[in-house]
Amino acid sequence: MLILAFDTATDVATSALVADGEVLGERASVARTVLDDAHRLLAEAEAETRDLEALVVGTGPGSFTSTRIGLAVARGLTLALGIPVAGVSTLDALRAGEKDAYPVLDAGRREVFVPGPSAAAPDDLELAPGTVCVGNGAVRYRAALERKGAVVPSDGDERHIPHARLHVSLATDFGPVEDVLPIYVRTPDVKVRP
Amino acid sequence: MAGADADGEGVLILAIETSCDETAAALVTDAGSVLSSVVSSQAGLHARYGGVVPEIASRRHLELVLPVVREALERADTSLGGVERVAVTQGPGLVGALLVGLSTAKAIAWAGGRPLVPVDHLEGHIAALYLEPDPLDPPFLCLLASGGHTLLLAVRERGASERLGTTLDDAAGEAFDKGARVLGLGYPGGAEIDRLAGDGDAEAFAFPVARVPGLDFSFSGLKTALLYTVRDLGERETERRRADLAASYQHAIVRALVARIREGVERTGLDRVAVVGGVAANSALREALPEARFAPFDLCTDNAAMIASAARFGGAIPFPNYLGLDAYASIS
Ligand SMILES: [Zn+2]
Repeated sequence: MLILAFDTATDVATSALVADGEVLGERASVARTVLDDAHRLLAEAEAETRDLEALVVGTGPGSFTSTRIGLAVARGLTLALGIPVAGVSTLDALRAGEKDAYPVLDAGRREVFVPGPSAAAPDDLELAPGTVCVGNGAVRYRAALERKGAVVPSDGDERHIPHARLHVSLATDFGPVEDVLPIYVRTPDVKVRP
Repeated sequence: MAGADADGEGVLILAIETSCDETAAALVTDAGSVLSSVVSSQAGLHARYGGVVPEIASRRHLELVLPVVREALERADTSLGGVERVAVTQGPGLVGALLVGLSTAKAIAWAGGRPLVPVDHLEGHIAALYLEPDPLDPPFLCLLASGGHTLLLAVRERGASERLGTTLDDAAGEAFDKGARVLGLGYPGGAEIDRLAGDGDAEAFAFPVARVPGLDFSFSGLKTALLYTVRDLGERETERRRADLAASYQHAIVRALVARIREGVERTGLDRVAVVGGVAANSALREALPEARFAPFDLCTDNAAMIASAARFGGAIPFPNYLGLDAYASIS
């Protein structure tokens, strides 16, 4: 089965083309160019969009806007191609890249997204000493996490990136795209106008 | 891709619009016939906040975009297979909201190897005038007045307009919304004020509209004037004279718009006048400009048929050169 996977929730948008468990290609850019990556992946594999049999998409949490870009792309593709989709949490994908790792995603506002999922200040996380923290939040708040005894791989370490091939390895529930919803964690900021 | 639909009406354009708080999709033929135009308004969702909350709007767009596109296809009695081109609003608007429509449209176009036409929302409003059954031909002077924009434009050919004036502060539609809030009416305010004004005396109160140089507009002082009047009247008197206040306030906005149009006609020599945008639905403005062409009622507020219409006059990006396309927030 030929699967296109992508995750646009974080600052590094990842994509992968996977055929029956074999990774044919992988790319990384930003959310707004994820379809350009998809196009290149198909071209390199000498495949066409109509050859795609399923999608796997990262559902966040992450940047609201970026996460929505991936989910909107998934909506357009499934409508046009009539193929099923599976959603995989970006936190779960990160955890799949390193056994026993604790995923920590940058949530802005001096907070991080962690499994739950929930948003918390890095200083408020409860971590067992020696816990390996991965993700862009772990990189950004390295000092705070290391003070708690956590281990954060070097900034350029691959384990900080939610590679889309990991989403494919976790995807089990393929169905209609309407069932694949973003994980926002936070409610919208609302200022009532005077 | 199929080059023509079953009826031989020419190529079909699917358009998506998500720039503000309407999720919209439409199917329009290259010749300008609207086969379907579906608009799902979120106004009720934003009413309690007195205006559009961008993040709430974007979330709703993601929920609605597919159902709305499906509905548009169904009502046009067609499928994506019959669609030759995909058009989408690229800006100006709320970027987070625009990106939902743009990403969906890019994906639909890419999946089928179709060209994509990114459309400027404001050009879209003007292009509402070019649809069947009664298309307008340039040249004409155009007032585009909505909750987000107030522009006076010289339209000399389709797909190209010259900006003569714009608002220096609030948009005309925004002035309606703010006035409605002062009067304790609902959101969006334009329709509420219009309705209430029908029972009021437009000459009861004199609300001054600031005179600014050139062909620009300014509405922010108007809301302040209304605010002071309401304060002076007190709660009970305001309640009693609400219709008069609405009528007079509306009259002030309409008078300012009409005055600028007249000046624009004088300066450009363009004697035909057209009005588009949400404020074009206002009955007092329609009455004040009996000789002008107004966009059809259902195509005044944001919709996708106007976006498809604009896409008929060029700007198509061939497959797959649009994949990195981004949205833009403000007027270029
Ligand atoms: Zn508009």
